Amino acid sequence: MAISRRNFLKCAALTAGGAVLAESPFVRAGAKAVIKKDIRYVPSFCEMCFWRCGLIAKVEGDRLVKLDGNPLHPQSRGRLCAKGQSGMGLLYDKDRLKTPLIRTGKRGDGKYRKASWNEAYSYIAEKLTAIRKKYGPESVALFAHGSGGAYMGNFMEAWGSPNHSHPSYAQCLGAREVAFTLTFGQGPASTAERYDMANSRVMALFGSHLGENMHNSHIQDFVDGLGNGTKLIVIDPRYSTAATKSSMWLPIKPGTDIALILAWINIVIKENWYDHDYIAKYAIGFKELKEAVKNYTPEWAAKKTDLPKHQIVEAIRELGRYKPNVLVHPGRHYSWYGDDTQRGRGLAILNALLGTWGRKGGIWLPPKVNLAKLKKKIKYPKPKRDSLAYGDYPFSSAGITTEVRQATISGKPYPIKAWFVIGTNLMKTMPAPEITKKAIDNLDLVVNIDLMPTDMVMMSDVILPAASYLERHDDLAVVTQKNAGIAIRQPVVKPWKDVKPAWLIANELCAKMGLGKYIEYKTLEEHMREKAKLWNIDYDKLSRVGYIPIPDSYHPYITEKNQPKFDTDSKKIELYSSALDDEDMDPVPRYTHHREPPAGSFRLIYGRSPVQTFSRSINNKWLWELKNDNAVWLNADIARQMGIKNGDKISLINEKGGKSNVGRVKVTERIRKDCVYLIHGFGSTSKRMTMAYGRGIDDTQMMTHYATDPICGTNGLRVNFVKLLKES
Amino acid sequence: MKHYAMVIDQSRCVGCMACIAACVQENQVPFENFRTRVLEITKGKFPELRTEFRPELCNHCDNAPCVMACPTGASYKREDGIVMIDRDKCVGCKACIAACPYDARYINEEYGFADKCTFCLHRLKKDLEPACVATCIGKSRIFGDLSDRDSEVSRLLAENESRVRLKAAGTKPRVFYIKRYPTKK
Amino acid sequence: MEFTITGANALTYPHLHIWDWRVAIYLFLGGLAGGCMSMAAVANLRPGKDVPKNQACCWRVPMMTPIILAVGMGFLFLDLQVKEHMYRFYMTLQPLSPMSWGSWILVLVFPAMIAFALSTVPESAMDNLKDGMIRNLIIKAQNSMRPLAKLNFLLGILLSIYTGILLSSFMARPLWNSSILPVLFLNSGMSTGAATMILMARRNSIKLFFTKVDIWLIFSEITVLVLLYYGQFTSPEASRESIMPFFTLTSQYFPYFISILTLSIVLPLAIILKFLELSGDHSENLELTFKQKFEMNASAVLVLLGGAIIRFALVYAGQLSKFTGLS
Repeated sequence: MAISRRNFLKCAALTAGGAVLAESPFVRAGAKAVIKKDIRYVPSFCEMCFWRCGLIAKVEGDRLVKLDGNPLHPQSRGRLCAKGQSGMGLLYDKDRLKTPLIRTGKRGDGKYRKASWNEAYSYIAEKLTAIRKKYGPESVALFAHGSGGAYMGNFMEAWGSPNHSHPSYAQCLGAREVAFTLTFGQGPASTAERYDMANSRVMALFGSHLGENMHNSHIQDFVDGLGNGTKLIVIDPRYSTAATKSSMWLPIKPGTDIALILAWINIVIKENWYDHDYIAKYAIGFKELKEAVKNYTPEWAAKKTDLPKHQIVEAIRELGRYKPNVLVHPGRHYSWYGDDTQRGRGLAILNALLGTWGRKGGIWLPPKVNLAKLKKKIKYPKPKRDSLAYGDYPFSSAGITTEVRQATISGKPYPIKAWFVIGTNLMKTMPAPEITKKAIDNLDLVVNIDLMPTDMVMMSDVILPAASYLERHDDLAVVTQKNAGIAIRQPVVKPWKDVKPAWLIANELCAKMGLGKYIEYKTLEEHMREKAKLWNIDYDKLSRVGYIPIPDSYHPYITEKNQPKFDTDSKKIELYSSALDDEDMDPVPRYTHHREPPAGSFRLIYGRSPVQTFSRSINNKWLWELKNDNAVWLNADIARQMGIKNGDKISLINEKGGKSNVGRVKVTERIRKDCVYLIHGFGSTSKRMTMAYGRGIDDTQMMTHYATDPICGTNGLRVNFVKLLKES
Repeated sequence: MKHYAMVIDQSRCVGCMACIAACVQENQVPFENFRTRVLEITKGKFPELRTEFRPELCNHCDNAPCVMACPTGASYKREDGIVMIDRDKCVGCKACIAACPYDARYINEEYGFADKCTFCLHRLKKDLEPACVATCIGKSRIFGDLSDRDSEVSRLLAENESRVRLKAAGTKPRVFYIKRYPTKK
Repeated sequence: MEFTITGANALTYPHLHIWDWRVAIYLFLGGLAGGCMSMAAVANLRPGKDVPKNQACCWRVPMMTPIILAVGMGFLFLDLQVKEHMYRFYMTLQPLSPMSWGSWILVLVFPAMIAFALSTVPESAMDNLKDGMIRNLIIKAQNSMRPLAKLNFLLGILLSIYTGILLSSFMARPLWNSSILPVLFLNSGMSTGAATMILMARRNSIKLFFTKVDIWLIFSEITVLVLLYYGQFTSPEASRESIMPFFTLTSQYFPYFISILTLSIVLPLAIILKFLELSGDHSENLELTFKQKFEMNASAVLVLLGGAIIRFALVYAGQLSKFTGLS
């Protein structure tokens, strides 16, 4: 008998022993049945978002009852956020995909029949074989996010297609990685960005709404910094949670960040705030930089950014005064205006000038990790055609989803006829979902591997239900905080229904396609054990404690013996980028003007809720009860002019006249007049998501177009304007 | 005798709601019921604004109106200061809910009894902090024993100006708030 | 000021709604029962000691009273969330909880009520009663009619006051948290009791007497009601805010506005009707005309209606009020 939540309570209290029983808050009259179940504590790491926090699962019999942070694990430090706490909401979601499904109706009309795994694989195999015959194996593309992406990547390699793409690149942080790599030879890392916020004296945030963007240890560091007296400067058109904690809020005009950055660089140089020795020792191109920014005066920036000049100057002086123990936070989500690599370059240059790289309170150096690589037992075939996912950009460093989408529509440079999608809801990820739909119309096969019937899943021909992070192994994770360590993901409960972990799906697909020789391991755990052995880690201990640190990895700050390595062409910090110059791109960032919303329109800016991971978690009942709607933030003065009151029903109209769901408005002083803001991920169109269906407004649907970064091909998504319509 | 209390450093709260989620799971709080909540209150006019994040929960008042209102003695105050509900005695008359000026209570719809925060007494017995405190990402919630002068709560209350909610109600809360707004430096 | 709240319970946010029509009816019937006890006692005490026993006045009301209270308690029972724990009320006495000693009062008034009811059974009804325990009980009770009436008068007042104290003890709900409220409920209870006497009495003299009594009771009820609002208005912000629903003409508060509007029509109208009625000829032997009867009964119904509106309006509006908004 499966015990219910509340039955569990009775049992928990009753099994806890007589002394507790007497005054236990849980015991109720009549609760006599004592079902003795064993309680187990299983460590693993989380995937409610991608921060991968260590967790300890409390399992009662075969049921997960509580998730807590693993105190050993440096990403969680014993704490879990609301999402992490609510993992059982995903695990036990009644709307979860339970069996493989094969489409019976038209694409998008939601009609499916249950199928066995073998049927589903056969269906896929038949289509794939036909595609290979007609178009070649390269005509299959992968869209991947999350741990499962790697296994499907292996399948793609075995199959012979180089077209992997990742929304985390083009729709998120790609431009940052490129910008910092161009400047420092390496990015600030994505999970556990190496920002020493806990020790910062002064910190500037460009639109990074920390706190709303809830990444566990990141926020712990941020708040520890606040507690230690970090002076916070927040540049954001919106009075974000982070801005509420700031000592200086600069409500910048959206799209003009580079103007402010350039003026700051100019002031740093002119007023001598930069770290002379550091620049002399580690950087090149200072003279060229100085020359290039000399005309970007504070007065000029004030005009462009709509900020008072004294604020601009005061803020950067504050950073200069406390250098190098300061941080110009590089941010995370970069897909703003299409010149994002240059904005990132600007932020990187500021950090370089202030000498923050490798300094306390700045950006710490990566931990020293020397882990041997497992010898690959297999060699994948080399695809005949190059990947089209990288597009025609000199510095694109990962597959661009929108390039794959474009090629699917145009058939150029060669046709794409099948999409494998794992762990990403493309309808809410790529801008202009209408174009995505058009691309899908051109496909012979759409396969989704996911947990929930998301908007994208409901566009597939075949749906393969994946095991959640609480039901599967994933490859050993190397955690790189200031200390490095190895973390394990392992099943805390048995997979429910007929779901399979992504690694197994990938292996079985290989087998089905006759690519058995490319299967690397029979079970993932065996592979993990092998790795652990190679790394000299006691696997059994690891599975007991969840995290084992790597000794002597802690080297966060520059010392005489611990010198930073810059993997640029010049092996130095490139203030002036000759790599960009070689490609006829601006070697020093330049301000470009972006179009502004016409009267009656607002720039659409979007963000995060601390309790939701995009559209992934919106059907989780324990998160739904915390946030199930995304009111549109509208400036109070504008609202008054429009006759709109807080909580009124409204809809948004995009630039092509497309209308959003009816939602609510939040009339607020906390946002500029020229933009509206809403939380990304809401407005599910999938009726099978019974909690989330139709709730809130979908920002992606409001994005009719996007800008493209000429340097690395990432999207700019904040270039869309909307009108606001009052609904009755 | 222990004197349990909570101090909430509002300057460290970023409204991430981890406390609520942890509480819901730890105490198996029914769907759409809550024992703790977070308010976000903004005052001022653009761009001169200030915002307060305020987690709220049962205050475990020393002068608890809910305990007084309870007709059956189901609500009671423990010696260590925790206000508890004996579910066996509760008739679900809701007088305690009407009596609580902090709206800290709710009715467990499945069984009908009144319910609320217990400071996670069952965890305290195992020497664990309340679930909301243990998971608080900003370490904004601090729990401890006021009778121990070296405890962190005692130290924080000694060092900081503190407030309680609805002081004029005379309920003598045991949840204290410090640093309402971050200091402008 | 802007605010958002995450993690609020629907039971208490945006405002309290724990008690509904069931509790309003319970309070009304409780007050009515109290009023009936006291008024029936007055009716039976008024003729003086010389009146031979068995000449009970309007014995139907004392007979009805236990039923009214029982029905009222039935509505309270309906509101309890853990009905099987009802017995817990009587396992303890919580001295600071009005609901605790109220639940004891509710039990204790029953024997007094029933004894009094028995004591008022008239001779005419006795004829039909066979010998037996009940007859003996009635005869015993008839011997102590006057002390029983006095006890009922007092307990009736206590019961009516209690229905008000139940609400007024909640510091957290400013509209209720007024010491005028129990007085209002007492007053209203008494006036509805008098109205019941008017409706139920057969004898013109009794009808006429309670019509006069009710005029005073309604006058004082209006005064106390005005005082309640005035007191709230002159109190700190939360209390002042608490009466605003009654004076705000928006769709949200429409029922409250209507309730105060209706009260301000119903109660004066009841008085006017009574004055009209009193102006007629009322010798004991005269048959009442249809017009007179109509005026008497209509005004009595209006009083009952007013009493019910007061309970409903205050039970609901009190739950809208908060100690203070946020701080």
